[in-house]
Amino acid sequence: MQPDPIFVIASAVTVAVILASAATHKVRAQARFANQVEDYQLLPKMLVRLFARLLPVLELTTALALLAPFSRPYAAPVAAGLLGLYAAAIGFNLWRGRKDIDCGCAGPDQAQPIRPALLLRNSVLVGLAVVASLAPYAREMGFFDGFVAIAASAVALLVYATADGLLANSPRLLKLIGR
Amino acid sequence: MEGLIVSNVLLWCLLLALAFAVMGLVRQIGVLHSRLAPAGALMVDKGVSVNEPAPKVTAADRNGRPVNFGYAGQKSQLLFFLSPTCPICKSLLPAIKSIAKDQADRLDVIYVSDGDMDAQHALIKEHKLENVTYVVGPEVGMTYQIGKLPYAALIDQNGVLRSKGLVNSREHLDSLFEAEHLGSATLQQYLHGTQEHAHSHSHSHAHPHNH
Repeated sequence: MQPDPIFVIASAVTVAVILASAATHKVRAQARFANQVEDYQLLPKMLVRLFARLLPVLELTTALALLAPFSRPYAAPVAAGLLGLYAAAIGFNLWRGRKDIDCGCAGPDQAQPIRPALLLRNSVLVGLAVVASLAPYAREMGFFDGFVAIAASAVALLVYATADGLLANSPRLLKLIGR
Repeated sequence: MEGLIVSNVLLWCLLLALAFAVMGLVRQIGVLHSRLAPAGALMVDKGVSVNEPAPKVTAADRNGRPVNFGYAGQKSQLLFFLSPTCPICKSLLPAIKSIAKDQADRLDVIYVSDGDMDAQHALIKEHKLENVTYVVGPEVGMTYQIGKLPYAALIDQNGVLRSKGLVNSREHLDSLFEAEHLGSATLQQYLHGTQEHAHSHSHSHAHPHNH
């Protein structure tokens, strides 16, 4: 089954913007990101710095490649792989019972502990990346289609930011009501 | 068909605006959360540490009688640092007086001020503080390193500083007693759970714990 191009473009733009903003966060606070990678305790110490250096580059390249139609079918699986990798890292640490490490999910200003809800968030993003990797049904794209695709991805991004904010607030709320 | 397209565009625009508004609300809630915690008396982080013996100092009150600060005694001491030139200090005086009256059997309230003597007399007259212990002079404030007013410090019977903080309202004042009761230096520390409780308390009513 081939999806309408609007779905593919909207998903690709959404995932691209999320990846690009994640990459800029990582570049802006490089030392902090390296510490977060170390906190996850999944890599040998020698590789942590290298990984922290390379990951934002890979994210940014993937984000740019997602925007162009010819590179999209290759970039989308990479994006899905990256997002799945993060989910796996979070899931593995949750399984080890290390719930108190900083997720590093939403930029330098928002520290939040890792929780199962973050796995859900990442699986939704992986779903979007999978949709972006599908070959769209070929049809004439007009101005209106472009508008709908852009508007849909903008709404998706705003909803994503809202969900992120709610996720970051929930531990504080629990603290406030004394749980 | 034309109408459908127009309605679709309009709906997308409205949806965008709505999503934007919701995101803005969530952000504001986040800001509120981060501002909510320091609702208690703000600790200016310097000077004497809480749960340590308070510095011992003796100063003369306005009638020349010596007043001891930080010594073990029969009652706890509440030091209220004020100044005649500070309007918030004056707005807190009724609260201080009511605390002094409520807890007269276990608490000595001492007013510590500095500055022009005529202004002190005017303040005392205006707020009917003739019978209270009222110290005028810089020694106590300097010993306790008070940088901001109105400031209050609570010293228990054994001469241990139990809580201190900048107080801007009746709630802040009450929070000092609450902080003493919880064994945390300040309510902020209690809220953030950064300090182990200095003494275990076996009160019957439950405290919210945040771990």
